[in-house]
Amino acid sequence: MFSERERERYKRQMMLFGDEGQERLKKAHIFIAGAGGLGSPVSLYLAVAGIGTLTVVDRDVVDQSNLNRQILHNDCDIGRKKTESAEEKLRAINPDIKIRAIDTTIEEKNASGLVGKADGIVDAMDNYPTRYLLNDIAIRKKIPLFHGAICGFYGQATTVIPGKTACLACIFPKAPPKEVFPVVGVTPGIIGMVQATEVLKYLLKSGELLTNRLFIWDGMQAHAEEICMERNPCCTACSSMSEIPENK
Amino acid sequence: MQFHERNTGEQIMNVKVRFFARFRELLGTELIVEVAERMTLPDLIKQITQKNIEGHQAIFDEHGHFREYVIVMRNARRVDLADAEKNIVADGDDIAVFPPVAGG
Repeated sequence: MFSERERERYKRQMMLFGDEGQERLKKAHIFIAGAGGLGSPVSLYLAVAGIGTLTVVDRDVVDQSNLNRQILHNDCDIGRKKTESAEEKLRAINPDIKIRAIDTTIEEKNASGLVGKADGIVDAMDNYPTRYLLNDIAIRKKIPLFHGAICGFYGQATTVIPGKTACLACIFPKAPPKEVFPVVGVTPGIIGMVQATEVLKYLLKSGELLTNRLFIWDGMQAHAEEICMERNPCCTACSSMSEIPENK
Repeated sequence: MQFHERNTGEQIMNVKVRFFARFRELLGTELIVEVAERMTLPDLIKQITQKNIEGHQAIFDEHGHFREYVIVMRNARRVDLADAEKNIVADGDDIAVFPPVAGG
C-alpha cells in the first residue's frame, strides 16, 4: 500500500501502470553492479521510479576525473567512497525506498551473496571478467541481467533472460582487452536509460524486452540499430540450461 | 540479385560492410564494396583494411586471423570465427564487424 506522499510522488507514472504496476516496483529488489558512469543514471532513475530496494555495489572512491559522467557524485564528494555518496544521493532523491550500498569488490566468492534475493542484476561495470561473473550469477539464480557498456559516443545494451535468451557469453564469448576508455557523460546517460527502462518493463511485465537483440548506439551519427542475437548451443555459461519459465 | 560483368567475364558483386564503435572510427561507417567471385569473408575484410594498418590490426591478429573478441555478422547471422574462411561472400551480403565495448 502507498502513503499519501508516495501516491503524490508516483502520480504521473501510476497513470501509466496503475497501483498494481507501482506495487510491483515497490516489491522489487534490483542489484546494481557499479556506481559509476552507468550506475549513476540507472540508480537515480530506478530510485525515483520507486523500486522498493536498490542494492548498489562499488569499490572505488570518487575521483575528480569521474565527475564528467558519474552524476551521483558531486565535487564535494571527491575522496569519499562512491557507495557512501550514492546512498546519500539516492536517499535524498527518494526517502520512500530502501538503499543498500555496499563498498566491496564483486568477486567469485562474494557475488552470489551480494546479489542475494534480488529480482534482477544491472550490469553497470567497466570490465568483462566481472560482467561474465554477473552473467553466471544471473543464470544460477534465474534472474535477468540488464547489460550496458559504453565507449566514447558508442554504447550497447541487451537484456538476458537466463535459459530463454542469449546470455552475455553467447553474445560476447571473448572479452576485449582492458583499456582506459574515453567517455563523455551523455553516452552512459543514454545507455543507462535503456537499461533502466528494461528493468521497469521486466518488473511491470509489459512491453518487448531487449532480448536476443544487441542495441547499438552511435551518438555521433545519432543512430541506433540492433543486431539480432541468439543462444549459442555451445555457450560455456548457459548451454546447460533448458527453457525455463520466466522468474517474474 | 544484380551481377555486373567485367570485360573478363568475371562476375562482380556488391557487398555492404558496416563497422561499429572503434572500428568505425578507423575504417568508416558503411562501405559498399565490389568484390570478385569466390572471395572469402576474411579476405573481403582484409581487402578493405589493407591500406589502413591501424584498422587492420584492430580486427586481425599477427597471423591474419580475426581477433577472438571481434564479432562478425553476415546477413544478421553470427559468423563462427573458427570457420570464417568457409564463408564465401555473395552479392547483396550485409556484413557487420564490431568489437564489444567495455566501459561503464
